[in-house]
Amino acid sequence: MSYMEDPKQTFLEELKSVKNLADLANIKVKYLGKKGIITSELKSLSKVPPEERPLYGKKINEIKQFIETELDLQESRLKQEELKKQLLSESLDITLNGKFIPFGKEHPINKVLSEVTDIFVKMGFSVEEGPEVELDYYNFEALNIPKDHPARDMQDTFYISDDIVLRTHTSPVQVRVMEKRKPPVRFIAPGKVYRCDADITHTPMFHQVEGLMVDRGITFSNLKGVLVAFLHQMFGADTPVRFRPSFFPFTEPSAEVDIGCILCNGTGCRVCKGSGWLEILGAGMVNPRVFEHVGYDPEEYSGFAFGMGIERIAMLKYSIDDIRLFFENDIRFLRQF
Amino acid sequence: MRVPFEWLKEFIDIKESPHDVAHRLTMIGLEVEAVEQVGSDDVVFEVNVTPNRPDCLSIIGIARELSASYKTPVVFPEHDVLAETGELDFNVDIVDAELCHRYAGRVVRNLKIGHSPEWLRKRLEKCSIRSINNIVDVTNYVLLELGHPLHAFDLKTIKGCRIIVGTPNRVKGQGTRIKFRTLDNIEREIPEESLLIWDAERPIAIAGVMGGMETEVSDSTVDIFIESAYFDPVSVRRTSKALGLKTESSYRFERGTDIKMLKKALDRAAYLMKEVAGGTICGKIDIYPKRYKPDEINVRYNKVNETLGLKLTKEEIADCLDGLGFEMKKSVNSLKIKPPAYRRDIKREIDVIEEVARIYGYDRIPAQLPKATIGIDSQWSGVKSQELKIKNNIKESFLKSGFTEVINYSFMGLQDIDLLGINGDDERRNLVQIKNPLKTEDSFMRTTLIPSFIKNLVQNLSHGNRELRLFEIARVFISSQLSVASSQLPIEREHLAAIYYKEKGKALYRDDTPDFYIVKGVIEAILNNLRIYDYSFVRSSEPFLHPGQSADIFIGSQLPVASRQSVKTGYVGALSPAIVDSLDIKAHKPSVIVMEIDIDSIIPYAMQVVKYRPLPRYPYIERDTAIVVDSLLEAEMLMKWLKSYPSDLIEDTYIFDVYQGKNIPEGKKSIAFNVRYRASDRTLKDDEIDALHKSLVDYILDKTKGQLRT
Repeated sequence: MSYMEDPKQTFLEELKSVKNLADLANIKVKYLGKKGIITSELKSLSKVPPEERPLYGKKINEIKQFIETELDLQESRLKQEELKKQLLSESLDITLNGKFIPFGKEHPINKVLSEVTDIFVKMGFSVEEGPEVELDYYNFEALNIPKDHPARDMQDTFYISDDIVLRTHTSPVQVRVMEKRKPPVRFIAPGKVYRCDADITHTPMFHQVEGLMVDRGITFSNLKGVLVAFLHQMFGADTPVRFRPSFFPFTEPSAEVDIGCILCNGTGCRVCKGSGWLEILGAGMVNPRVFEHVGYDPEEYSGFAFGMGIERIAMLKYSIDDIRLFFENDIRFLRQF
Repeated sequence: MRVPFEWLKEFIDIKESPHDVAHRLTMIGLEVEAVEQVGSDDVVFEVNVTPNRPDCLSIIGIARELSASYKTPVVFPEHDVLAETGELDFNVDIVDAELCHRYAGRVVRNLKIGHSPEWLRKRLEKCSIRSINNIVDVTNYVLLELGHPLHAFDLKTIKGCRIIVGTPNRVKGQGTRIKFRTLDNIEREIPEESLLIWDAERPIAIAGVMGGMETEVSDSTVDIFIESAYFDPVSVRRTSKALGLKTESSYRFERGTDIKMLKKALDRAAYLMKEVAGGTICGKIDIYPKRYKPDEINVRYNKVNETLGLKLTKEEIADCLDGLGFEMKKSVNSLKIKPPAYRRDIKREIDVIEEVARIYGYDRIPAQLPKATIGIDSQWSGVKSQELKIKNNIKESFLKSGFTEVINYSFMGLQDIDLLGINGDDERRNLVQIKNPLKTEDSFMRTTLIPSFIKNLVQNLSHGNRELRLFEIARVFISSQLSVASSQLPIEREHLAAIYYKEKGKALYRDDTPDFYIVKGVIEAILNNLRIYDYSFVRSSEPFLHPGQSADIFIGSQLPVASRQSVKTGYVGALSPAIVDSLDIKAHKPSVIVMEIDIDSIIPYAMQVVKYRPLPRYPYIERDTAIVVDSLLEAEMLMKWLKSYPSDLIEDTYIFDVYQGKNIPEGKKSIAFNVRYRASDRTLKDDEIDALHKSLVDYILDKTKGQLRT
């Protein structure tokens, strides 16, 4: 038997020419495979004279270890190179736009409506609804606006029949709720209302939020407390608020509520017509006549009601000067909110 | 109401600046909407007088209010008729005393009709009233000054020295048709209930509204008869409404005039006429059949404080009311009040409480949060109802799916529903009609939201938008069949509708999913998010949708019954090409997807309570199979059959590929589906599942009459 020549030199030469993992695998087979040079040499170790066997065996094993180490090293080098190549080939122009569908936008009116609603819900008001096509009785009569009363001129009404109208305000919900429920009641009623009027500050449909609170011992002072709290939450804690006498047939005393003009800070501008104040709410103590219609005893219970136009608040908030924009639904407008 | 400041100062001694006075008026309920500089020496207040305060529709009325607020007396204008000559041989007969509580008149003779002096003209102009002649101008002047409408007749045109006040019904008998030419030279048909002023032969004025052409004061007039009366507000309002005729007079009469003032007004007018047109004032007549008797109102001191949240003393309360012209009697616990004739709005205790608050000043009442009862009743718990939560959930889902919310008017026109081809039996034809619409194309309440979306589409595409995703949640109104009775309200339902359009071709990243599936996917995602899984999409027969790309949506136990539209929850589909072609859109054959769902009908299915299911403990085994079937076989059918296979080891199935084309015979398609098997109590074995899956595939091939794809 002849001793194997040390193959390291040849191996290293061959290793140098390796270009990829496949070449590397071939070399691995050539040396370490079942019939590989090193494997064969180890198998034929028995043919070596016993006295030389330990030394020679040790030598072969050293060579084997050397080859294995070199192969591993080379393999990880190659793998890294290939990964590099893959990464390079998979590289994207990360400055191109991502693929997405932009979220839709809530309509500005509903945005403001939710804001208003949330404040009152936090104060313990529930949310109620009523029909938009309403009986004359609920829209007018029960609210102390009899037929042939000049107060009817305050609202231009769309008629369906002599007894049915498109509700001109959300106030009929007051009556509907009180008819069903005993005091205490505390709710708001947001919704659409209709008046036959159309110009830069009027649309035939718009949105209101009505509010009602009835309990024992509710005072005008409480009306002010709740509405000031609301307005401060809505427009900022240092917004000036003023209450002045007004007239609504279903409340008495009635009040118009103004806030200091949020555009000019009360110094006077086009929007507040130089007065420094903006009309924002109508309110008042529930007229005993309304209580009589729903069977509440005005000697036992008292309460206040209020109502506000959402378009007006939205117009002030976003500096919109034409109310009709809200209902044209031009997405160039809607996407701004 | 326009109030010149210098005129106002004639009746009340005010030191404050116009700006301060305007603010004072606003804060006692007479909102000054504008302060207008007139010339160099005067300002005019534009005062918004609420309908309950007709007494403030005059300079004197405004002065009275300031007097109550400033506690300064009002000086009443000169009105004493110092000399009157002659008897008035006039016969006034009030036939309808309910409609005319008082009628007074006076004759002035030998007047010189002509232009008014400058001071008179100027004041009228400041109040936006055109000068006509000195007589008419004086009646208008007194109207502005004292708030009482007057009318001047040319005396020689009044026949028979007689005035009769009554309706055609009462004067001429039931059913009399009267035509009457008013002084604006328009012949009007007078309703038989309307109160008229007649002479011995014919009507000469519509009471409280307008005089007649034939008895008008003209350049040739020498003697006049001045009328000053109190007409019933409701009667005047009805007449004014029926005739569509609104005048300065009717505006005041229908709100209520001062029955006690009318004599002063009459004398003031006579006095001024003498001043500006010469003439002699003759005697007067004053018929007063229905006397004003105010009720005494009991105002409890404690009720005042309980209502306002104040602690006013008796004296403070009385002090507030002092100066408002009330007759007051103080007692231990209350005030007994009689309001003056010009305050007919004061009828009850609460009306007086409002006066206290008004004069005390709303701004002086403290703002105090109520000590409220906390509700334990679920209806009053302070959280939004479950329904509102579901609606919000749906809305949020649409927003996150890229749909922008719109709000359209609730109106539509007949042509809209015609365009959609909705026929006579369809409930969307049960229209609620508006009697007085602003435009005929807005005469009906919407029964579907789609017409509004078609308009939104056309409008937005005209601005060059390449895509559009819009949705709306709004009510539709279905006239109830019983609505012949006019007090039957229509049915209102909350609908959700959306529109989807995307320009083809131009896209950075390819996605050739048909638009129909995109919108259907949004609907399914929303239903699943509401934990509604029991729904089906059934080919739709909506006349306005593409028959090949539309589906009706049924939820829960609702069965697809073609003849009954009402049971379905909604639909989704491509707008019919015929409709799209008729629209003014530039795009070539655009695909427009619309959907509409009745939210009210899905809410009950969305209210389910969530219950946790334990997670599976054993692994699953999956098998994929492709079969070739008739191209008309719908996926839902295949899914149904897969679900109908009786094995509780099938956990889930889904279709992951549908293919038509190369290697598949004409009229056939390949459908590939995946089945996931799992047992709840053990690990499944491959050979067990091989057998089960083969049996399942055989079952499906039998049902579909299909073949295994090889």
